[in-house]
This record gives sequence, C-alpha cells and structure tokens, in this order.
Amino acid sequence: MSETSVIELRNVSLSFENRRVLNNIDFKLHNGEFTYLIGATGIGKSSFLKLLYRDIVPDTGTVRVTDYPVNKISMKEVPMLRRRLGIVFQDFQLLQDRNVFDNVAFALQVTGEKPKFVKQRVLEVLTMVGLSHRRKHMPKDLSGGEQQRVVIARALANEPRILLADEPTGNLDPGASKSIMDLLKQINNRGMAVLMVTHDYALVKKYPFRTVRMIEGSLQELQWKGDKLVPVK
Amino acid sequence: MSLKYVIKEGTAGFKRAKLAVTTSIFSLFIAVLLLGILGRVSYNVYTQAMSLKEIQIEVFLFDMDERSVEEVRNQIEGEELVTNVVYISKDSASVIAAKELGAGVTELIELNFLPASFKVEVNTDSGSELVESLASRIQNIRGVDEVEYNRALLKALESNLSIFSLIGSGLGILILLAAVVLVYNTIRLTIYAKKDLIRAMKLVGATNGFIRSPFIVEGIIQGLIAGTLAVLSVFAIFEFLVPIYIPDVGIVAWPFGRWYFLVGAMVGLSVLMGWWGSRLASRKYIAETYISG
Repeated sequence: MSETSVIELRNVSLSFENRRVLNNIDFKLHNGEFTYLIGATGIGKSSFLKLLYRDIVPDTGTVRVTDYPVNKISMKEVPMLRRRLGIVFQDFQLLQDRNVFDNVAFALQVTGEKPKFVKQRVLEVLTMVGLSHRRKHMPKDLSGGEQQRVVIARALANEPRILLADEPTGNLDPGASKSIMDLLKQINNRGMAVLMVTHDYALVKKYPFRTVRMIEGSLQELQWKGDKLVPVK
Repeated sequence: MSLKYVIKEGTAGFKRAKLAVTTSIFSLFIAVLLLGILGRVSYNVYTQAMSLKEIQIEVFLFDMDERSVEEVRNQIEGEELVTNVVYISKDSASVIAAKELGAGVTELIELNFLPASFKVEVNTDSGSELVESLASRIQNIRGVDEVEYNRALLKALESNLSIFSLIGSGLGILILLAAVVLVYNTIRLTIYAKKDLIRAMKLVGATNGFIRSPFIVEGIIQGLIAGTLAVLSVFAIFEFLVPIYIPDVGIVAWPFGRWYFLVGAMVGLSVLMGWWGSRLASRKYIAETYISG
C-alpha cells in the first residue's frame, strides 16, 4: 500500500446473487481525503463498503484498510480492523434502551477502556458533535439529525483513521443534512479520511470533494464542469 | 474485558427482553422440576424394591447331632454371598409355627415333627442366578434335606427393577433432551430480541467473545433462577402437597437421606443447561449476524 493511502483495493471483483457488482476494480483513499462514492440505487455502493469493514469478502483481488489485508485476516482480527473504522449508516442503529451518553460510551466499553477514560472521551466527542447538553436524553427524544450526530460521535469515539458513511443524510431533511455535512467536513479537516456513499447530488455539489461513480461494476473518477459531473479524462 | 460491564449487561438483559427471558426461565424450570421429581420418586421406588429383594434361604436339616449341625453351619457361612446364618432348632420351629398358625394346631405341633433349619441371609446385590447356584451348593451339603427360597419373587423383582431402571433412565434422557432443545431455542429467542445490540457491538469492534459474555452471564442467571424455583417446587410437592392430598404414598425421602444432594444436582443441572444453551445459541447467532443486517 502506498504510504499515504488508508484504503486500497486492487483487481477486486465481487458477485452478488449471480450479478457482477464489482468487476476488477482498483481504488485508493488517501490519508485525510474526503471522497464521495455515488451511483444509482442498487448498483453496489453499500457492498463496496461492506468489503471494507469485512462483512463480505471479494471473489478476487485484495482489499487493504490501513495495515489490514482485509480479505486475508482471520475472523479474530476483524474486530481490530473495525476499531480503525468509524461506520455510520442511514438507519441510525442507536440502542433505543439507553441514553445518548451510554450509546457512545458503549463503543469504548466493548473495547475494554477504563470507566474514567470512557467518561472523558464520550464528553469530548459529544461536545465535538454539539450534543453534550443532550447526553442524558434517550434516542427517541432526539430529532433525526441529532440521532445521526450521536451515531457519528459513537463512530469517532475510538479515534478511527477512516470514517465510512453509508447515506448518512438519507433519512434527514435538508437542514439536518447540511448540519451533518458540516460536521463531516469539520471531522475531515481534523485529518480523518472520509468515504461517503450518497446519491444526493445537491450535497455533492454544495460540498465539493473528490467524487467517484460506480457504474456497471466499474469505478469512474468525476469532476464538476459547470453544473455537471463529468468523467475525468 | 470489564467484568462489571459484562455483569451489568447480563442482568440488564432481563429488563430488555422480558418475554423471551421469562419463556426461557419457564422452560428450564419445567425441565429441571420434572427431572427433580423423577429423581426423587425413582430413588424411593428403587430403595423400596431393594428392601423387598432381601433374600432369605431356608435350609431344612435331617435329624442330626449338634456337631453335625455346626459342620453344616460352617460350610454355609463359608459361602461368599452369605451375610448371616441363624439356626432354628426343632423346638424353636414348633414355637414359631404355633405362634403363626394359632391355637387350633397345638396338638399337631406337640408332635414336634418340624425339622431344624437355618435361615440364611444373602447379599441383596446377588442376582437370581448366583442365588440359584448357592442354593444348589447348599442342597448338596451332607445333612441338608431341603432348600427353600422365593425364586419367583426374586426373578420378578429383578426383571421389574431392570425395566423400571430402563424406563426411568429413558424418561430422564428424554426430558433432558427436550429441555436442551427448548432451552436452546428460547435462549436463541432472547438473543434474537437483541439483534440490534449485537449488530451495534460488531460495528464498534467488539470481539465475538465479548459480545457473547453478557448472554452467557444471563444464561447462568436464568439457570440459577429456574433451578431455585424447581427446588422450591419439589420441596412444596413432597413436603406439603403429597402428604396432604396423597397420604397413602407415605414419606418420599430425599435421595441418599440428605436434601442437598438433589438440590445441588437440580440447581447445578439448571445452571449448566443455562450456560450451555446460551453459549451454543449465542455462538451460532453472533457468528451469523452481519453489521449490515
């Protein structure tokens, strides 16, 4: 892997239910880089992310995330890989039976951190996402945007090197989407690499970063030309 | 791994999936209760049968002098299976007969025609074949007229005890198997009810062992609760209900005369099943759970 890349895929192919989702693709995400992965619904963007956090393995090729050869590591090493990643989904995946503080603390408790550190770190990340005043509230008492902020705080708790976001604004209204994008941008400015799957072109235009389109099993680098995203030649 | 966290999560599971936990405890309770009742009843039936099986062989002698009687006694006592030998003289036999048969036969008994005999007690573990061969060896001793014992009762007890043991063990194994399947499935339900928690734990990089541990703690606690309830029920059944509603049964004693053998076995088995069921179910379910659902 090149020294500056935190994710690298080489000659990766993936089939899913007799359909070729990825066809011999190469991809790199550099340290501190923000990249959008766009494409039509059902094209395989989420499958691409699954390869990175090892929910699935490719048919062929190699996947590297930080120092981990993802498709070669044993199942015992998978949790260690996931601690290097912050993962955010469209459906918030918060535990409804515990408050905001506990939802974030949980990410540190499962990795065996000491209670004192857990408390300190949780308050730190909740402050970062602007929710420290809501720490005792239950998820159901929060708006969608706030719930997604809690999820981002949880994803950041372990200080990962990469944030994977799968349609993080998919369930949010434009105002909440903007606040989440601002937050992701702020996180990226601190040096964390962000790979965000989205099909919200308005957001991609408003927050311009490197954009990659998934099309017919391939990846295509895009750039803005006026109002249009066009392939980089 | 934080023990405090594991115990806190393990106990919190009772609040989070009340129905599944209650079902799980109930199925464990029923299984252990049935095994407890079976154990206590079987033990009592077995000891009753064993006491019936105490074999006595009557050895009737020809008329002979005391020295010859002693020789016969020595030969009988030399047999390995024999535990006790009591001599009944002709006079004693007449007195016993008079007592047993009543006043109407006094004149007949005065004729003193009853032979002297030995009452020979035999080790209760001896099978009918060994007793049979012992009887024929005694029959061949010089001075022995006739050897009598209840062959039919011994054979009937022997075969009935084997059948009883077979049925008892079969029933026990069946209950145990049913319980294991039931416990496994209900604990799976409990775990399934927490699929969001498992996904979230995997998402943040918890190891499978860590994810499993609260479920195992929960399984052990479920086993402990179910076992305690089953023990209390066995106590209530045999100490209060049976004496009041089925007094003819009499006292159904605790196995081996001590309450703690059965209580320990029931609670131990219940905890073991809770632990095993939760371990197996969580292992399988956690391995099959994906972050992305």
